[in-house]
Amino acid sequence: MGLSPLSRRALVVGGLIAAALPFGARAQAPAYPTRPITLVVPFAAGGSTDVVGRLVAQKMSDILGQQVVVENVVGAGGNVGAARVAKAEPDGYTILMGTVATHALNPLILKRKPYDPVTDFSPVALLAVVPNVLVVNPNLPAKNVQELIALLKADPSKYNYASSGVGTPLHLSGELFKSLAGVQMQHIPYRGSGPALNDVVAGQVPIQFDNLPSASEFIKSGSLRALAVTTKERAPSFPDVPTIAESGLPAYETYTWNALFAPPKTPKPIIDALNAAAVKALADSGLAERMKGFSAKLTPSTPEALAEHVKSEIAKWTPVVKEAGIQAD
Amino acid sequence: MPDLLANLGLGFSVALGLQNIALCFLGCLVGTLIGVLPGVGPIATIAMLLPITFGLDPVGALIMLAGIYYGAQYGGSTTAILVNIPGEATSVVTTLDGHQMARQGRAGIALGTAAIASFFAGTVATVLIAALGAPLTKLALIFGPAEYFALMVMGLAFAVVLAHGSVLKAVAMILVGVLFAAVGTDLETGQERMTFGFSFLTDGVDFSVLAMGLFGIAEILRNLDQTETRDVVRERIGRLLPGLADIKQAAPATLRGTAIGAILGILPGNGAVLGPFAAYTIEKKIAKDPRRFGRGAIEGVAGPESANNAGAQTAFIPLLTLGIPPNAVMALMVGAMTIHGIVPGPGVMTKNPNLFWGMIASMWIGNLMLLIINLPLVGVWVRLLKVPYRLMFPAILMFCSVGIYSINSLPTDVMLIGFFGLMGYLLIKFGFEPAPLLLGFVLGKLMEEYLRRSLTLSRGDPMVFLERPVSAVLFIIAFAILAAALLPSLRKGRDEVFTEA
Repeated sequence: MGLSPLSRRALVVGGLIAAALPFGARAQAPAYPTRPITLVVPFAAGGSTDVVGRLVAQKMSDILGQQVVVENVVGAGGNVGAARVAKAEPDGYTILMGTVATHALNPLILKRKPYDPVTDFSPVALLAVVPNVLVVNPNLPAKNVQELIALLKADPSKYNYASSGVGTPLHLSGELFKSLAGVQMQHIPYRGSGPALNDVVAGQVPIQFDNLPSASEFIKSGSLRALAVTTKERAPSFPDVPTIAESGLPAYETYTWNALFAPPKTPKPIIDALNAAAVKALADSGLAERMKGFSAKLTPSTPEALAEHVKSEIAKWTPVVKEAGIQAD
Repeated sequence: MPDLLANLGLGFSVALGLQNIALCFLGCLVGTLIGVLPGVGPIATIAMLLPITFGLDPVGALIMLAGIYYGAQYGGSTTAILVNIPGEATSVVTTLDGHQMARQGRAGIALGTAAIASFFAGTVATVLIAALGAPLTKLALIFGPAEYFALMVMGLAFAVVLAHGSVLKAVAMILVGVLFAAVGTDLETGQERMTFGFSFLTDGVDFSVLAMGLFGIAEILRNLDQTETRDVVRERIGRLLPGLADIKQAAPATLRGTAIGAILGILPGNGAVLGPFAAYTIEKKIAKDPRRFGRGAIEGVAGPESANNAGAQTAFIPLLTLGIPPNAVMALMVGAMTIHGIVPGPGVMTKNPNLFWGMIASMWIGNLMLLIINLPLVGVWVRLLKVPYRLMFPAILMFCSVGIYSINSLPTDVMLIGFFGLMGYLLIKFGFEPAPLLLGFVLGKLMEEYLRRSLTLSRGDPMVFLERPVSAVLFIIAFAILAAALLPSLRKGRDEVFTEA
């Protein structure tokens, strides 16, 4: 938008050169992209994945010289959108905003798998990592993770915890906590974290695992008490909140992540052009500022690193899903 | 009080800036247009416009998006009245008497009443948000799962009272609606229910798909086999503005509707959907001659329309003060705020007073603009009815299909509106009314969720509904309504409310 055709072309050429350089100069780079690219966001408009998708799409449009259009293909916890991209033409004009849900959790939970997270996609780039947080209602006597564990052990049948739904990263963050800490609490699923927050703030449910961005205002205003973040390192936006790992459960680590995927067997030059555009978009200071605003950590990566990341996430979650006994058709 | 005035002063100084006024107008205009086009809803529009707002300052961007939202509420009633398609759950009731008025050649008055009642409700709701926004959030926190379940039960009791064409048929329709609501992935276990292995049913049936099929497509089918209904409308358009007698009838209904809608809109658990239904029930209950309802009673338009608009405005209270979106459009507003670096929640009011009060002031300005945009347009919309139906129905059909597809990008949704359209047509032919079905569907989904959550929290003890005072009171009201409805002495005065001639 707003670019003259000439500078647009310059951007495209520049992008292609940047993409091609590490692999040696090519005689003829294929013309890509020549028409708008559809970025499938498999979740509803307005959610955190959608926001990340729209911010990145906007920047990538400027860099690629073609509009990257966000299309929300909602359904089945992200599976409908992911499955659509898995079956799309591998021409680089349909790409997916994948998450820990579409590429690690859902394939583990579902008996009937609509796609294989490893073989049915060409990884493009990891984009951002978003911490989760363990929050409690301020009236709960526990001031830290150890006190919470003591509370839960004293009365194993009394406490409930809220999450944004069955099989979501937040539910499994809770299940992982239960298994590592050896405690019991009843899971109360909600439709998304908004309604869950409402009930935790009101004290209907005392404990919740949530994405850090959606809970952050409640933590700052004191309506919720943050006991710990779920990442290995503390979140820069909340330096005073410890991690669960440093609070006595060293093996604990969960987070939500976003990454770009293309359909399987997408040609390498196209993947490289997309990767270069995504990495360049993340380097933009305006974008970085906006992403920092909701505690997302930017993690630009190579396609190969994303492929490894998906495999390690699947390996990490397999035992948790098995132990929690979550299985769906 | 001086605080309130100072705050409102700040708000108006922000909202009356040249750029913000222009954005407010643009939002209202776009909102009205998409509201009028059947099927193109505010959700799809706001989602598409989000990236365009990146360049604007956050206050202006949100003022525009909010304008689209309540503009669409206005426009949506136009479609409900003229072509009998409720764009959202909240305009289902408007079809009952509004469309009847249009058929009797009083489309102009129905539209005018809707616009004026909405404006009044919007004004009151704006003042209410400004004065009571912060304290009212406490009310929202009293409502736990048990209270919401009781509220939904009360809603279904309303539906039974409402539907007296044939109680048995109405109850059957409500239950079918509840059954439809149960299709899809079980919230608690993640198992699929009644999907017959179709992957497009895993998330259940979308409200807009069901509403557009049962009302929109079915209406087209019905119009196609009885051509003469269109002639009634073409004969005389009538006055555009309600006369003195009309205003006398509509004014008290507007007042009551505003109060009901405003209170229900504050509840973050989507209590606003009940507003128009509750307003309609009350209007019919206290009317001297309830028989007029369903046959073009002006109170049946004024009450629900004001409740609808008041609820649409007060729904901003949980969003702005708690950061909790009560419905899909509000969830999008959360996204819009996040993109602009504002995290919605209790901090907005203190940290971004410009945004908070600016938006509230812009709502009132927006409502005024809507009145100015809509009243002259009433004539244009009514003239649309003179377009021969053979030209109009393909256009409506096309907008419905495009609109439905734009929500989730699922081709199966387009097929489903065809299916529900056929079903709606058959239901009408056999004398079943689609409105109770839709109410059962909307409430059934919420009811199941709250029921199961309350019982999980109480570890299976049903006494929780009676031990909590608010829920106990709501249950008592619900049973009182039902008892009154089932007393034979009262049954005589009942009317075929939902029956569509």
